[in-house]
Amino acid sequence: MTDQRTAERSTETPTSPASDKQVLAHSVRRFGALHQAERVLRGMRAYGGVILFSSVSQPIMYILAMGLGLGVLVGDGGDFAQYGASSYLMYIGPAILASTVAMAAGIEFTFPVMEGFKWRRLYYSAQASPLSPGQIASGHILAICVRFAVHALVFTLVLYLFGVITSPLGLLQVVTATLGGLAIGLPIMAYVSTLRDEKGQMSLIQRFVIMPLFLFSGTFYPLTNLPGFLQVIGWFSPIWHANELGRILAFAQPTPAWMILVHLGYLIGMTTVAWLVTVRIFTRRLGLEEWRGRTPGAKADARRQERLAAKDASVVVGSDAVASKTAGSSTQQDRAALPRIAFRSGFGANYYSGNIRAVFGRGLTAIRNNRGVIFLSGLLEPVLFLTSFGLGISPMIAGLDAEQVGAGDGGTISYAAFIAPALLAVSAMNGAIFDSTWNVFFKLKITKLYRTMMSTSLGPVDVAVGEICLALFRGGIYALGFLGVLSIAGLVDPLAAVLMWVAALFIALGFASVGMAVTSFMSRFQQMDWMMMVLIPMFLFSATLFPISVYPAGVQVLIQALPLWHGVELMRDIAFWDFGTLTLVHLSYYLVMIAIGLSVTTYRMKQLFLR
Amino acid sequence: MMRGDTSPLRMNLQVLRHSGAVLGHSTLSRLIGLSSGLLRASTLQLMPVEHAIHATGLTKRYGDFTAVDGIDFSVARGESFGLLGPNGAGKSTTMRMIAATSSRSAGTISVAGLDPEKNGPEVRAKLGVIPQQDNLDEELSVRENIIMYGRYFGLPRRWLNTKTEELLEFAQLSHKATARVEDLSGGMKRRLTIARALVNEPEILLLDEPTTGLDPQARHVLWDRLFRLRELGTTLVLTTHHMDEAEQLCERLIVVDQGRIMAEGSPSALISEHSTREVLELRFGMDRNQEQAEQLTALLSSASVGFSHVEVLPDRLLVYASSAESALERIHSVGMQPITSLVRRSSLEDVFLRLTGRTLVD
Repeated sequence: MTDQRTAERSTETPTSPASDKQVLAHSVRRFGALHQAERVLRGMRAYGGVILFSSVSQPIMYILAMGLGLGVLVGDGGDFAQYGASSYLMYIGPAILASTVAMAAGIEFTFPVMEGFKWRRLYYSAQASPLSPGQIASGHILAICVRFAVHALVFTLVLYLFGVITSPLGLLQVVTATLGGLAIGLPIMAYVSTLRDEKGQMSLIQRFVIMPLFLFSGTFYPLTNLPGFLQVIGWFSPIWHANELGRILAFAQPTPAWMILVHLGYLIGMTTVAWLVTVRIFTRRLGLEEWRGRTPGAKADARRQERLAAKDASVVVGSDAVASKTAGSSTQQDRAALPRIAFRSGFGANYYSGNIRAVFGRGLTAIRNNRGVIFLSGLLEPVLFLTSFGLGISPMIAGLDAEQVGAGDGGTISYAAFIAPALLAVSAMNGAIFDSTWNVFFKLKITKLYRTMMSTSLGPVDVAVGEICLALFRGGIYALGFLGVLSIAGLVDPLAAVLMWVAALFIALGFASVGMAVTSFMSRFQQMDWMMMVLIPMFLFSATLFPISVYPAGVQVLIQALPLWHGVELMRDIAFWDFGTLTLVHLSYYLVMIAIGLSVTTYRMKQLFLR
Repeated sequence: MMRGDTSPLRMNLQVLRHSGAVLGHSTLSRLIGLSSGLLRASTLQLMPVEHAIHATGLTKRYGDFTAVDGIDFSVARGESFGLLGPNGAGKSTTMRMIAATSSRSAGTISVAGLDPEKNGPEVRAKLGVIPQQDNLDEELSVRENIIMYGRYFGLPRRWLNTKTEELLEFAQLSHKATARVEDLSGGMKRRLTIARALVNEPEILLLDEPTTGLDPQARHVLWDRLFRLRELGTTLVLTTHHMDEAEQLCERLIVVDQGRIMAEGSPSALISEHSTREVLELRFGMDRNQEQAEQLTALLSSASVGFSHVEVLPDRLLVYASSAESALERIHSVGMQPITSLVRRSSLEDVFLRLTGRTLVD
């Protein structure tokens, strides 16, 4: 950055730095990528607060939750001395650093690239300057490198502060973690930059690429804990290679020299190839070739449209037939007469017009119009989590004392059976929150769908309840799929499964109503990021992956105040068929959430649209 | 420019009457779904004129800012009524108060005989709203957009299937029925928005700047559709800052500026009241406008050209005179040499300039 400044200054003429085009062009040829990087970094300042906050809070959260919480459970079960680490926390520390960078890569190399090509067409404004397409690509990548390095540095310092790393070599993790982030992120960037249109690919990448690569990369346990065919995923995952390098640097995990070379070679090779490919694609799109990119699923869309057209044709013929039949028996005026429009008078007529069905129906049609794979991909997440943690952690834990986790009468239960109900509660929460926050925010601020709805005879209650029903519909299907997997794996019995499905809907309703209420106060996307900052710790601390008894009493009270804990415990009560007065407390907690959430949502809807 | 007695408005009307006759009035009325009873009432004048909208002292404040400052107006059933004014004049706010999506700070308003604030859903059931920006549902196809919108009114699906085909035909979108909304052109989107707003067979249609941002051809297609609705007796209330649009579509209008009504009347009455029949536009080049204006005033006041006054704009002078051609001759005869000159008929733009001292689109 300073190079570029001095270069400009040295060529300055007394009149204007822009007067000598020759020198300008020369300077851009040499430092163009830095100009672009500067622009991207400046753009990041808008959410710099969130980035810094997450860099500091993520390690602390993971240390407390996974290192200490899960660590108590793992206890002596895992022998980490053979890897060179003195505790479980020490073992997972470097891997969590590499994994959080990789997760950030999943965000930074997808949405901003789409923004550059399509949503805000930022790359096209750079294209009009002397920058070359390759410099635009490299500038973007460099800026993200800086962001990764800052995150990794802060993260590493926090780890030092907590004594999780002691070796000074550990600082080099900043390099390996950044490299890992590039190795996973650049291939994704290369793919995204070929897209002309975004039709849910971002969430597909998140669910089908980043999540599996993260969960099967030996972050929370040695990769060898997994059965052979799942280890293969780890070998291909850049996250695993970065994890291992981090461990070697942090606590000198014994590794043969050739293996270190393999790790480094894989990461560097992947980064180089993907970088070159990305530059090539940027040159095709922004250069003279003016390639407009692929529209993914264009053929499928065309097929769908044909199908719809065919169906519509039959509907029209059908309704015409019906119409001509009725026309035979009555006059034309009767046919065209307007049926009664739905509105109510009397109590709350301004809020509710008794037409929730229409809002719900609209949502179903929209889901039908989108591609099914996106809808169904939500099912994948809990299954992946269960496979990864159930299979990976289990070898380190003999089994959980049923008394300790509050699961009734003596004996032990498997770790998988312990986390399965919790994961169901988490997936119910995630689904409901996603639908009621991101999707609602989108309809509220971007597409303004609710404004349209409120200009008809619908009232705010119809809209709010209809949208929440939609969130429940989606959540219900996901829960059904996950419970199916659990039943086949023998982790729940059928009767409990039915009750758990109802409970999942109940939990989803609680989170959906509160989520929608909170979203109605949001005005910018950055605020949505903060909401995610609340959800991740809730997932980590709410006794999902380990029993609450690992915490000291004071912390337990804090966790018991969180809604997810009540959901998780409610699920476990049902799964282990162990009901008590606490079950009632869990239920009433959600009833209160639902009541407050729905009233605030309705009030806000009225505020927003009937001002 | 147009100097004949046949205004474009009148010509258009005649064309439309003709096409209406070809289609047959009953077919048209069935298309729009207007009840025949209402038509008869308005054509035979059996009933006294009933107000579709009646507002007195209507006021809207946002904190210290007064967007609408105590305006009175009423719209008769079947009338096409315009709110004309620059951006930020309070037009859209007024529209939202009519549409029962905004509360008022003071005053009264009744829409179709009801108070929008007390009976929001019921009032909205009688309205068709076309917002300033198309807010079509991008996740649905063209046909589904109309059907779903009808469902929001609680209309039965079977009835909507037939109705939607009629509306698509009316909006000239039948061939695009299964297309995605994002594949439509700007004009098509606008027509779809209008077709959608007609699904509940509204008594009153509210249009907020219906043709802003459309190319001239798309505007004319749209005006043609709105004309048909007007002919069938639907009450139209529209806001615009385009003078030609107001002159084309409105029987009566109010000129609004800074939340107040500046003038009210039919377009032609407003023009004859606040302007001369013709205008002469002159350019003399930069920096000379003011002194030229004084000279011109002195020159033309004595001539018998029906001279009224001169407006000085940054780039040109507007000379208001009932016979602009003679005024121009007079100017040439004394040896003044404008760079360009143009004789045109007076428009609502001139009315607005006269009333507020500002141009409308800036």
